[in-house]
Amino acid sequence: MLKFQRTKLVNIIHNNDGSIAVHGALDDHIYQIDIDLTIGIDDLTIRAIDGKWLRAENSECRRAIPFLQNAVGIRIDENGFPQYVNKHVGRKSCPHFANLIIECCDAAEDAVDMIRFEAAKADQPELTFEEYLAGNISAATKDKPEIRVSAQPEKRVKITTEEKQIISGANGFCVDLHIHTFPASQCSSSSADDMLQEAKRIGLDAVCITDHNYVWETADIEALSEKHDIPVFKGNEITTDQGDILVFGMHEDVQGIIKLEELKRLVDETNGFMIAAHPFRGFLIFNTNEIGLTVEKAMQRPALKQVHALEVLNGKVTERENVFAGKVATGLDMPATGGSDAHDILGVGKYATSFEAPIANERELVEALKSGSYAPCNYREIATKALRHEE
Amino acid sequence: MANLLCYSRNRATSVEQIDETTLASTCRLQDSLNDAEVTLCIRLPELEIIDAKGTFTRFSRNSCRGIENALKKVVGVRIGAGMKKIIRGLVGEVTDCSEIAVLVEECCHTVILAFTKDMLTLVPEELALEKDFFTKMVQENIRLYNSCAAFAPGSPIVEGIDPP
Repeated sequence: MLKFQRTKLVNIIHNNDGSIAVHGALDDHIYQIDIDLTIGIDDLTIRAIDGKWLRAENSECRRAIPFLQNAVGIRIDENGFPQYVNKHVGRKSCPHFANLIIECCDAAEDAVDMIRFEAAKADQPELTFEEYLAGNISAATKDKPEIRVSAQPEKRVKITTEEKQIISGANGFCVDLHIHTFPASQCSSSSADDMLQEAKRIGLDAVCITDHNYVWETADIEALSEKHDIPVFKGNEITTDQGDILVFGMHEDVQGIIKLEELKRLVDETNGFMIAAHPFRGFLIFNTNEIGLTVEKAMQRPALKQVHALEVLNGKVTERENVFAGKVATGLDMPATGGSDAHDILGVGKYATSFEAPIANERELVEALKSGSYAPCNYREIATKALRHEE
Repeated sequence: MANLLCYSRNRATSVEQIDETTLASTCRLQDSLNDAEVTLCIRLPELEIIDAKGTFTRFSRNSCRGIENALKKVVGVRIGAGMKKIIRGLVGEVTDCSEIAVLVEECCHTVILAFTKDMLTLVPEELALEKDFFTKMVQENIRLYNSCAAFAPGSPIVEGIDPP
């Protein structure tokens, strides 16, 4: 039986003012939306956009319409265009409008290629579309500007050593094992300096920088540690075919998507440590248990046999998903860690891992992780309560 | 002036329940340059892609000619957060035909929408109750807060909810 259907239709007209008119329609079991875009042929820039809801998820979806204007002025052939639309239209307006805009603009690029090809063919009648595209692609991908948005750090109150001492529940040596910094992680909006300043302010004992598929130079990590007077260790969040893995003690620069088995081999060679990051990160509207995933079934997931520990407190997933991960770790008798997965300063230290003894360097961190003597902790909530109590 | 179309595209994606633990998701693309179809077989409850088949019967780029090897790469991937990066990375290893990854992603995204629809059947008709339903949904999954205009500060749905 058919469970769901979505149709997207894009129609394009070549205007006589150097632009194209793009009409997009999305129709599925939940949503029905229309958009109209005007895109310049010369500069591939969105000149105008209009959209309307015909059916929506809830009565507040109408609020999305004004934010469609965030797409105006953007070049559709820029590197990062889909990411920009997802962030500035998807999150401000509606992800389904963003989806349709991206579909329309992808079609618009094809349409402009066809228009330009027809013009080029007037001079070179033997030119094929494939030949035209080959030349066009190499020219068009040169020097594409990157779209970048970054946040400004705020001035914040610092937690003193005395205040740190009254943070109960986060005893031991508290390390945020999972943070991302810009520009090493393009999805982060805060620099390493800002993140470490915040880590120091809230009294964390140490921080691991785990940028996506990025190996920091040891000298740079040491310089950051010295500058901010806080132990900083290097890690790496590596995307595998079975999800994201936090890796410590292995410095291979892995690019692309690696098979989990292959990553395990590399990590074993260097006596490193692997943690399954946010292992049960789910969906926005429904939970994995609603599609029948039980703790017992999850425990059978082959990927979990390849890692040394599970991240059971992750700052970017729901409480329910963290609880589920915790139950799986308990069921498998695996060590459990906590990390904020912070992508900006507000997230630093949301969760951390509390070790029994201080850790001075990366090798000691790996040894401590292998010992299994640690526990995840809700660090930032405890720290904030402590601050409020003091006020 | 006739206002004839210079380009058109139709992308239709459907999800079919094959049996209690198997879904088939198919994305068909027909536009002025391409005609393609990809079908994924998905096992529940892990949402794991257990088979992927497809073909381009018309294409503008020769790299889209044979897509079987590229599709094999996504077998074993689970549908979920972060899947787009994994799919693009795996497919990108063997082909420059970026449309293959888009077809696979559309199949996966539509599976997510199918389960989303199941949840939305529970939304009450009455406006006040609808608001309460979505408020509770945001409270239970704070990632929804500020994820779109309906769940952004200023919307009645998130009134009284502390930002994450």
